[in-house]
Amino acid sequence: MDAAEPARLWRWRAGSVAVLAAAWVGATASGLVPSVFLPSPGDLWDAAADMVTEGYKDRPLLDHIGLSLLRVFTGFGAGALLGTALGLLMGWRGWIDALFAPFIEFLRPLPQLAYLLLLIIWLGIGEAPKIVLLFLAALPVAAVAARDGVRRTSLARLAAARTLGASEWQLFRHVVLPSALPDILIGARLALGIVYGTLIAAEIIAGSTGLGWMIVDAGRYLRSDQVFVGVLIIGLMGVALDRLLVLAERRIVHWAGR
Amino acid sequence: MENKRLPVATSLLLSALSVAAALGLWQFLATSGTVAPELLASPAQVLNALEEILRDGYRGTTLTHNAAVTLGRCLLGFGLAVVAGIPLGLLMGLQPRAGAALGDIVQFLRPLPPLSYMILLILWFGTGDGSKVALLFLTALPIIASAAMAGVRLVPRARILVARSLGASAPQVVLHVVLPSALPSIFTGLRIALAAAFSTVVAAELLAATDGLGWMVLSASRFLRSDVILLGILILGLSGMALSWALLLAERRLVHWHGRG
Amino acid sequence: MTHPIPRRVALGAALGLGALALARPHVARAAAPPINIGFFTETKPTIIVKAQGLLEKATGQTVNWTEYGSGAEINAAIVAGGADIGFGSGSSPVAAAISQNLPVWLVGLVDNIGPAEELTVRTAANIHTVADLKGHKIATPFGSTSHFRLLGLLKLNGLTQRDVTVIDLRGDAIVAAWTRGDIDGAYIWAPAKSKLLASGGSVFRTWDKLDAAGYVIADTIVARAGFAEQQPQAVVALLRVYGQALDFYRSKPEEAVQVVAKATGVSAEVAAADLKEYDFISLHDQLTPEWLGTPGKPGRFAEVLHRTAQFLAEQKSIKSAGPLSLYQKAIRTEFLKQALA
Repeated sequence: MDAAEPARLWRWRAGSVAVLAAAWVGATASGLVPSVFLPSPGDLWDAAADMVTEGYKDRPLLDHIGLSLLRVFTGFGAGALLGTALGLLMGWRGWIDALFAPFIEFLRPLPQLAYLLLLIIWLGIGEAPKIVLLFLAALPVAAVAARDGVRRTSLARLAAARTLGASEWQLFRHVVLPSALPDILIGARLALGIVYGTLIAAEIIAGSTGLGWMIVDAGRYLRSDQVFVGVLIIGLMGVALDRLLVLAERRIVHWAGR
Repeated sequence: MENKRLPVATSLLLSALSVAAALGLWQFLATSGTVAPELLASPAQVLNALEEILRDGYRGTTLTHNAAVTLGRCLLGFGLAVVAGIPLGLLMGLQPRAGAALGDIVQFLRPLPPLSYMILLILWFGTGDGSKVALLFLTALPIIASAAMAGVRLVPRARILVARSLGASAPQVVLHVVLPSALPSIFTGLRIALAAAFSTVVAAELLAATDGLGWMVLSASRFLRSDVILLGILILGLSGMALSWALLLAERRLVHWHGRG
Repeated sequence: MTHPIPRRVALGAALGLGALALARPHVARAAAPPINIGFFTETKPTIIVKAQGLLEKATGQTVNWTEYGSGAEINAAIVAGGADIGFGSGSSPVAAAISQNLPVWLVGLVDNIGPAEELTVRTAANIHTVADLKGHKIATPFGSTSHFRLLGLLKLNGLTQRDVTVIDLRGDAIVAAWTRGDIDGAYIWAPAKSKLLASGGSVFRTWDKLDAAGYVIADTIVARAGFAEQQPQAVVALLRVYGQALDFYRSKPEEAVQVVAKATGVSAEVAAADLKEYDFISLHDQLTPEWLGTPGKPGRFAEVLHRTAQFLAEQKSIKSAGPLSLYQKAIRTEFLKQALA
C-alpha cells in the first residue's frame, strides 16, 4: 500500500468536493432540478442567514438547538452513567448478569421509536417521554460495553493483584476499572450516536420543538431550503458531539494514567 | 475471573426467574387497577391481541404481511449496503486517493440521523418503499464502508508482500489476503449497521407507511390499543434479537475458519 | 505499490448505484394507468366516493386510495409524483403550494368550512374571552386550515405564541393529550372535535368573526398538473361522481349518513351532526363568480387563496405570497364545466 502522501491526497479531497459543488450549482442554476427538490446554494445561504438572524418562525434558532442538546445530554448522561454502572456490576458478578441480561439483551436491538408512542401515552406530550426514551436507548449499549470491558480484564493481572493481598474493592478500582475503561468509552461513543439519532427521530415523529421538529415543520410547507439548512445543522451538531466525546475520552484516559 | 462466572444452569435459572418476576409484576400492574387499563394491557390481553390479529388481521393487513414487509425493507436496504459498502470500503482503504476523494462524503453521512433526511427522500421518491430502502441503504453504507476501510489497515503488510511475490494478481490479493483479514472489522461494522437499519426502518414506518410493524404500532397508538402496541414491541424486540443472532452465527462461520495471525 | 481498481469494487459500486436508481417509482406503462388519490378519513361526502367505489365504476381504472394526515403531506406527495389528486386538501396548504409554483391545479371545491372547524376548550378551565387563553396550551395540526384560523385569532386579538402556547399535534394525538390533561384547548375538526366536546369540552365560538375578518377556509379538490394534462377525463369523472355523492347526501341523507358512519368508524348520530356543520358547495355553485368562476374568468376564491398566502408569508411559513394572478391561473374550472355538461 502507498505510504500516505498528504499533499497529493489533499488534491483528491478538494477535487471531489469541487465536483459535487459544480454538479449542485449546475443542476439548480440550469433549472434541471426544480428548487423544491434541490435548492440552489444561493437559496440555502439566504435561508440559513434568515434562520440564524430571525430564528425559525417565532423562536430563535438557538432555542431549538438548545432544547435538542438539553434532551440529548440529559438522556445520554443518565442512561450512560447508569448503564455503565450496571454493566460493571454485571461483569463483576455473574448472578447480577444473570438477573439483568434478559432485559438488556431484549432492549438493545429493540428499535427505540417503537416504544416512543407507548411512552407518550404513559407520560404525556412534554419532555418526559423523550428523556426516558433516550435513557433507555443509551442504557443497554453502555451496560454491554462495560460488562465486556470487565470480562476482558487480564486474568493474570487479577491473579497477581490477589496474591498481593488486594481486597475486592481494590481489585475492582485498580485493576478491573482501568482495564475496562477503553470499552466503556467506546460504548459511550456508540451510545451518544444512538441517542442523538433517536432524539432527532423522536422530535420528527412526535415533537413540537427542537431541531427535528423544525425540519418537519419546514417540510410541511415544502420549504426545502429550510429543511436542507436544518439537516446540515443536525449533521454538524452530530459531528461536534462526537468530537466532544473523543476529547473527553482523551482526557479521561490521560487522567486514568494510561 | 473464573470464580466469578456461574455455572450455566444456575445462570439460566436466575435469568428465567428474573423474567418470570417481571411478567408477574406486569400482570399485577395491569390487572390490579393501579394503572388505567387502556394504558397498560395485561400479558393475557396481549396474547389475546395476538390471537385476534392472527385470525382477523389488523385493519386489513395480516401479521405475517406486516412482519415480512418490515424485515424485507430492512434486509433489502442492508443487503444493498453490504454489496456496495464492502467493495467501496476496501477500495478506500487500498487506494488512498479514493479514500481521500470519498472519505468526506462517508464521514458526513455517518453521524447524520437517518430520519432527518428521510423528509428529503420522501420529497424525491415519494412515500413508497423506494424512499425507505434508499434511507436504509444510506444509513448502513457509511458504517459498513468505514468498517471495511478500517479493516484494510489491519492487514499485515507482510502478507500482502508475500502474496504478491508469489505471483498473485491484484484481485486475488484482495480476495484471499485483504478481505479475510479485514473480516473481523467488517463484521463489527455489519452488526452496528444492521442494528441501525432495523431501528431506522421502524422509525421510517412510523413517519410514512401504510403497512409494516412500525405502521401497526403507530396505528394502534392512534386508537389507544396498548395491547397491540405491546404486541408490536415484543415482536420487534424478538425480531431484532433474531437478526443479531443470525449475524453472529454468520460471523462465527465465516471468520472462524480463517486462522488469524 | 498501487492496485488497479479490482473488478469487484467496480461491480459493487455499480450495483449499489443501480439499486438506488431502481428505488425511483416506476412510471406506469399500462394501458389504463392507475389513479392515485390522497384522501382523509373524514365525515364528508368525499368518503362516499371511496366507500362505494364510484370512481372505479365510472372509469374502469384502478384507483389507489392513500390516506394522509394533512393537506401538507398530500402536497409533498404531489410534488414527488406519488399522488395525482388531493381529495379534500385544505385551502391553507393549497395556497402554500401555489405560492411556490408547484404543479397544483385547483379543480373543485368540497366545502366552505365555517363552523366545522372550531376552537374547543376545557369547560373546567373557565375560558370565556380570547384573553383568557393566555398561559394555556392549545393544540392544532400545524399547516392546516385550523392552524390558519387559530393564528388569525391570536393576531386579531394581539396575542403572540408566547402568550398562548400553540402545540403541533394531529387529531388523534389531540384526543389523547386532552384525555391526559396535557392541553386545555384545541382548534380541530371532526372526529376529534366531537370527542373533545363529549369529554368535558365546550365550543369557543370564533368561526364567524374570523370568516368576517377574511380568514375563510375551505376544503378543495386539487390535481397534479401533469396528471390533469394526461388524464383530463379522469379528473372530470372524479368531479362527476363527487357530484353524485353530494346529490346522494342531499336526497337520501339517512342512507348517506350510514355509509359515511361506516367508512369513518363513528356512530350514525355523530356522522350526521358532523355533516350538518359543513357548507358543501354544489358543483353548480362552484362555477359562480363567488367561488371558482368559469374558464377564463376565475372567481373570488382566488382572492381567498391569495389572502391566505399573504398571511402565511407574514407568519414566515412561506417565502412570499406572489401576485393574485398566480392563484387565478391555478384555478382550472374546465373540468367542472365538463362534469356538469
